[in-house]
Amino acid sequence: MSEAVVQDKKRFVVPIGPQHPALKEPGHFEFTVDGEIVTGATVRLGYAHRGIEKAVESRNWTQSLYLLERICGICSHVHAMTYCLGVEKLAGAEVPPRAQAIRVLVAELERVHSHLLWLGVAAHEAGFDTLFMYSWRDRETVMDLLESFTGNRVNYSANILGGVKCDVTPDLASAILKGVDFLEERSRHYLNVVTTDEVFLQRTRGVGTMSKEVAERLGVVGPTARASGVARDIRIEAPYAAYADFPVQIVLAEAGDLEARFVVRIKELFESYRLIHEVIDKLPPGELQTRMPRKIKAGETISRVEAPRGEAFYFIKSNGSDNPERIKVRTPTLCNMGSVVATAVGHQLADMPMILAGIDPCFSCNDRTVAVRDAAGALVTWESLRQRRLAHQENK
Amino acid sequence: MDVLKTLFILLIFPGGLFVLANGMVYEWADRKLVARLQNRVGPRWFQPLADLLKLLAKEEVVPESVNARLFVWLPIVALAGVLTGALYLPIAGLQPSYSFSGDLIVAVYLFSMLTLCTGIAGANTNNRFSLVGATRTLTQLFSYEAPFLLAMLGPAVAAGSWKISDIMAYSSTHPVILLQPVGFVIALIGLMGKLEMRPFDAPEAETEIVAGALTEYSGRGLALFYLGRYAELIAGLTLMSAFYLGGIHNQLDYIVKTLVLLLALAGVQTLMTRLRIDQIVGLWWRYGTLLVLLQWLVTLLLKGMVL
Amino acid sequence: MLVDTLRSFFQKPVTRLYPFERNASPERLRGKLHWNPDNCTGCCLCAKDCPSDAIEVITIDKKAKKFVMRYHADRCTYCAQCVQNCRFSCISMASGEWELASTSTEPFTVYYGNEADLEPLLGKAPPPAVDMP
Repeated sequence: MSEAVVQDKKRFVVPIGPQHPALKEPGHFEFTVDGEIVTGATVRLGYAHRGIEKAVESRNWTQSLYLLERICGICSHVHAMTYCLGVEKLAGAEVPPRAQAIRVLVAELERVHSHLLWLGVAAHEAGFDTLFMYSWRDRETVMDLLESFTGNRVNYSANILGGVKCDVTPDLASAILKGVDFLEERSRHYLNVVTTDEVFLQRTRGVGTMSKEVAERLGVVGPTARASGVARDIRIEAPYAAYADFPVQIVLAEAGDLEARFVVRIKELFESYRLIHEVIDKLPPGELQTRMPRKIKAGETISRVEAPRGEAFYFIKSNGSDNPERIKVRTPTLCNMGSVVATAVGHQLADMPMILAGIDPCFSCNDRTVAVRDAAGALVTWESLRQRRLAHQENK
Repeated sequence: MDVLKTLFILLIFPGGLFVLANGMVYEWADRKLVARLQNRVGPRWFQPLADLLKLLAKEEVVPESVNARLFVWLPIVALAGVLTGALYLPIAGLQPSYSFSGDLIVAVYLFSMLTLCTGIAGANTNNRFSLVGATRTLTQLFSYEAPFLLAMLGPAVAAGSWKISDIMAYSSTHPVILLQPVGFVIALIGLMGKLEMRPFDAPEAETEIVAGALTEYSGRGLALFYLGRYAELIAGLTLMSAFYLGGIHNQLDYIVKTLVLLLALAGVQTLMTRLRIDQIVGLWWRYGTLLVLLQWLVTLLLKGMVL
Repeated sequence: MLVDTLRSFFQKPVTRLYPFERNASPERLRGKLHWNPDNCTGCCLCAKDCPSDAIEVITIDKKAKKFVMRYHADRCTYCAQCVQNCRFSCISMASGEWELASTSTEPFTVYYGNEADLEPLLGKAPPPAVDMP
């Protein structure tokens, strides 16, 4: 330990986080710099661990849905949908096709809102506040659509075990199509800006480049992977909900730099707009919900959904009672975090916020459990923490 | 009487309160313009004043491990430098309070005091963000200072005098902006660098190094640095309109010309992405300096031909 | 981008000055919960599935089907699971009532029910709030 400290004194470490203007959520990065050049990077996560997985075990299956939906404030529908799909698989319930199509519709609207949000944040990190303001202004369109569709701007609660709550009315369908057409025109403009604005390109082209090999080795997911040419999309590999009926075209780029990530995400917006049009045009008729038992059959399953940031993964285990026995969540940010550390070295300090924003991190979502090791390297258990507290009190 | 008059010049007009109040108004105008260009509402007219009062009312924290005397005096020196420089300028269309041949050089260097003090203030503290910010501030100073000074001296060369009022008299009769367009652009961009406006705000890039060199400053010290920047905005705009936009002859002239320049500044701020410090240095030394030297050559040749 | 900035310069800002300008809330907005006691059978499904324990159904007289509801607006997450659960459509969420902030805790505990049934409850001091598990 002492050796590490001595070494630290020789290096100039710029800490970013847990509280820092570049981070909208807590995470800690240490960048060792030589002048302006970054020579080393480490990451520490776990500042926003909320114990949701444990809390779910003391709630019933329905209550858990709403708690899990609150894992992420941006892709809340994705979490609720992943959980519902998993539980429905366990219970053997047949969800009506109209409900599945509406799930896809909400998921794609959510992807639009998430990608536009990311565009603004990434532009802000680069110091391009005008693009930030404009993209968030236009994002209001999709937020309003989601609000009038589901009843809330975030945490839509569109899902219910066995179906969805909200239906598409003709008025709503035309409003959504109108909003989506407006956004499509705006997105075309933004694609033009991020690929032609010379000053902005100086900050994105060739920055944070990750080759296909590195991306595959690090197990990167989502648009971050697709920008490096890795064809990885759960909507295509293992279609869930209604994605088998509404196939998705994969959007790929080869360069793997920040510009490619901008391009991939904006082009995915066009794909989402197309899907929204298709779903509304070919919405299957029928019921919205199917009855679900209060107790779910014993068993275990996994459920995977393509969140805006990549693959969201749920492991669900039931022991046949009212409550889930174990739910394990892995969000895409965790898979992508390694790429920040891998691509940071050799770049300028000024590029760090951009590289970090390039994976569209969502810290609070990915903070699950923290393994704490003591000085000797042994895992600190719950019991040893308790003993330590007792000893501390006795010393007082 | 003389003492009273000097005190009035130093404290109220144009050296003290007037420049500061004017600076706050222009700072508000700048923020409002940028906001409107970004389709936002922007701040109310009293926002800079409210910021200032809030900062002045707050406790000033002097961190450990800094030279406390330096920490307290740097903002005062910075503000004093800018205000002294403003004495040589035709602020608000009136004659400069003081004038001597060669006052241009003195004024331009007094305006650099602010940046220099900011840099030293950052290096004085032990904060990593401040240190990186100070390095960037001083790096940027060295990159834009030479081209900016050369661009300012362009009209001086043409006028054949280094006295601000003489140069203004020359520019009133000659369309300097047409004769030296490159110099105008460089001076305007140099002013943005001086004021650390986007795209030259790498020294205080909030997403990277929080508030840069001034991270550790709070309360009174920060307020004084802000005031210094407001005053510098006024001084820079005045100097630019006096040299390149045909001089300042009355109050209306002053308001119109400086506001046009401010609009140009706001436009550039809105359309630009923050540049990295290496890109800034490259831009200035690769293009800025060369272009302004070329401009000098052309000016001298023209002058030689006319004579 | 230049065209965009010029256009927005001459446009009205899109920012809504909220307390002075209000947008009409969409029809489906989930606002404050309302309860109609007429059809309630006292099945308590709403309370059972509430993810945040915001609903308490208090039985006054089981045989006469007299129930009142104590609703904690501060605990409510506005998920509308109770609306889905109720088989007799007793529960609704008002789309117009969404400005529920208050500086005291009193307005957050709301009683619903027939006035005659509520009297004994409201007459005495409300019981101390139960801590969430």
